[in-house]
Amino acid sequence: MIATFVALLILGLLWGGVYLLMAEGLNLIYGVMKVVNLAHGDFIVLGGLVAFSLFGVFHITPLLSFPLAALLLFGIGALVQVGVLERITVTGPEGELRTLLATFGLSYVVANASFLLWGSQFQSIPYMQGALQFGAVAVPEGLLVSSLCAFAVALLVHLWLTATMTGRSVHATAQSSLGAAACGLNVRRIRMVTFAIGSAMAGGAGALVIALIPFQTSSGGDLTVQAFTLIALGGLGNYLGAWLAAELLGLTEVFTQYYFGSDAASAVVYAVFIGVLVFRPQGLLGRAGRV
Amino acid sequence: MTGRIVEWGIFAAVVAAGVAVAIFGSGYYAQTLFTATMLILLAVGWNVISGFTGYVSFGQVSFFGLGAYVAALVMIHMAAPWYVAAPVAALAGIIVALPLGLIMLRLNGIFFALGMFGLARIMEIIASSLGITGGPMGTTVPVAQSVNECALVMVLAAAAALIASYRLMRSRLGLRLMAIRDDAVAAEASGVNTWTIKVVAFCISAGIAAIGGSLYVWNVGYLDPSSAFTGTIELQTILIVLTGGIGTVWGPLIGGIVIAALSTALWARFPMEEQIVLGALIMFIAVAMPGGLMSAVSRLGWLKRAPIWGPPVDPTTLPPVATDEATSGAPAAREPVLSCRGLGIRFGGVVAVKDVDVTAYPAEMLAIIGPNGAGKSTLFNLISSFALPSVGEVSFAGHKVSGLPAHALARRGIARTFQTSRLFPLLTVWETVLLAASSLYATRADAVAATTRILAEVRLLDHWAEYPDTLPPGRQRLLEIARALALKPRVLLLDEAMAGMSAQEIERVHAALRHAMARGTAVIAIEHVLPAIAPLARRVQVLDFGQTIAEGIPRQVLSNPTVIEAYMGADYEEPAHGGA
Repeated sequence: MIATFVALLILGLLWGGVYLLMAEGLNLIYGVMKVVNLAHGDFIVLGGLVAFSLFGVFHITPLLSFPLAALLLFGIGALVQVGVLERITVTGPEGELRTLLATFGLSYVVANASFLLWGSQFQSIPYMQGALQFGAVAVPEGLLVSSLCAFAVALLVHLWLTATMTGRSVHATAQSSLGAAACGLNVRRIRMVTFAIGSAMAGGAGALVIALIPFQTSSGGDLTVQAFTLIALGGLGNYLGAWLAAELLGLTEVFTQYYFGSDAASAVVYAVFIGVLVFRPQGLLGRAGRV
Repeated sequence: MTGRIVEWGIFAAVVAAGVAVAIFGSGYYAQTLFTATMLILLAVGWNVISGFTGYVSFGQVSFFGLGAYVAALVMIHMAAPWYVAAPVAALAGIIVALPLGLIMLRLNGIFFALGMFGLARIMEIIASSLGITGGPMGTTVPVAQSVNECALVMVLAAAAALIASYRLMRSRLGLRLMAIRDDAVAAEASGVNTWTIKVVAFCISAGIAAIGGSLYVWNVGYLDPSSAFTGTIELQTILIVLTGGIGTVWGPLIGGIVIAALSTALWARFPMEEQIVLGALIMFIAVAMPGGLMSAVSRLGWLKRAPIWGPPVDPTTLPPVATDEATSGAPAAREPVLSCRGLGIRFGGVVAVKDVDVTAYPAEMLAIIGPNGAGKSTLFNLISSFALPSVGEVSFAGHKVSGLPAHALARRGIARTFQTSRLFPLLTVWETVLLAASSLYATRADAVAATTRILAEVRLLDHWAEYPDTLPPGRQRLLEIARALALKPRVLLLDEAMAGMSAQEIERVHAALRHAMARGTAVIAIEHVLPAIAPLARRVQVLDFGQTIAEGIPRQVLSNPTVIEAYMGADYEEPAHGGA
């Protein structure tokens, strides 16, 4: 009984890490640019499918394709920011809505381009299918590795934001783009780097996660909703909050799956989504701990 | 006027062409026409909430799917014909939209947009798990006799929706929607209950989408969750409105024709790439052509929106204003109309306003002065309910009003202007004042008469059809004051209304204020520069660090050492020879 509970607890926390990895790029982009990238989920799927092909054709494992997918999406992200989003020059609500519309269009472009290349079947990578035994608790290898990577990436990004000059510039831009520009920072470049890194995190996440959850090209929308739910629950742009929210979702899903079955578990994220909108639109932690 | 005739002539011709194709066209043409007009209908619905009101929705297909399911159930289980199923579906759409709107339209635009994005997926999951409609496999539905019949019904439905949306745009409700889109705070200050109005728009838009869904199942005779909630419809609906021109009446029609032609052509040659092209087109329009084709058309001077309920009547023909009890002359005893006791608010650790009392008497002006950051504007926000005080209360005309929504206070007679003027960029001078007047007057004639009078009084009537950004800054201020006066306020709060005005414009404002005070209005004016206000003010109250530091008649207060210290610093000495 207790062993089961502990096992579920560990699984839930590990899944939380994976969810965090999938949401963190969106959070970073929102924090700095106040943009919700509706193509975020499609970026994750694209990263995953690239890893799928790399594995199928060159037998490159997800751990190696993780940086490759991230690099590819970094490039795509930079291109999107410079070529599209940066060109929307109006600010305020109108700029926000136009940016949302542009990323809405982008999500169709990415999803359907993926569809042309990979078709509509569910794809997955048979990699690290074993389980590690810790006493009575068995932990799937893939989950453990993905989750550890997720925490490592989260930590690296945190260090980058707080300890490096570029990171601090990003921080400054998040608080006031105008102020940052007045201090001589190249805010255009900072926004480009931010959007590119946020997209790279999506791509990297996809490469790891496709070994755990099968993807199809139309999964993007669901993943976007999931990622948005987490960062909204955490309080848009809030790092600590997003992590808490991800762990909460991981635990809720794992426990729901065990006690109520997988149909109920797949609806959990939407239940949380509705709950956030109704009860806690300001997020778990409110304004505290924002980028 | 001839412009209107041409406009409706073209519309009638387009509808007639549609009807002709629907009746005489082959199955292929009728089906293409059906799909195109269905998307125009959906675009009209989306435009009501996202175009007129400015809340972009990425889940309009939720109501399309809902309408489709409700209509299917009605047609299967009650053996009802389409013309019963469609209204039932519309009703269902409205009923479901009501609570959703109440929840999601409290939040800002991003939450609404993403909330709708998620809603479409939630609805699909629900439809899949309900056994009564065949679950994920779908169900067959009684199908129409012929495609031509469907196309004819859909053409007429889309035409009706366009006419309804035109009427909406020319109505009080349409004016309020556009005001909310342009500046929700200023709309609230003009007496508009923004939340309710947004929810109404959302329900209308949901009802229209549900009708589209109900006619869709009748046309295809089959329904499953993934086709009822497909993103393809969402994509095309949004693209049509963007292409035609978001927030315009004819945008959905123009965009619908263009996109139907484009996607039919694409579908024939590049079926796999169609959605990539359409998605890229949305990106392009959002970036490079936000006004769509309508902005190009109106640049040529065609299809311009005429001001709602305009033009003004000749002010000389208006009957003299009937004086009513509440506003006539000065009352016998000098009773305060507004009194605030111990008002205070803190933001985190900062106490912005602390224990401030404000009393205003009818027919006289109280000037509130104080250095930058003294808490003057915050005090106004507390009085007008744009912020809730942490302590203290506001009584107006003998009733406690703290906690009432801002729009309710505006209607009851506390009107205000803003420190940085908040006008509606896409409403004309006429409509700006009409918006406030229509919060007060039930009939169109009364609202028009009141608007005309006020614009004549501040001498802006000649500019009635202009947009605020074409007015010089001083006149923009004047317009904001006119908007506040249109609420026939018993208390008028002016937040640095005369900053940046020329002497001539200040004189106009003074005249208007004297006029209002003669009718019994109490004016509370915040100013930095006292001379702008001193000739009118009966009393002055000085704020510093959120507290009242002096109060009294102007001459007395200005020689008060505490006041001089607050403005000039402690070691300020009076100049030896009294230079200005």
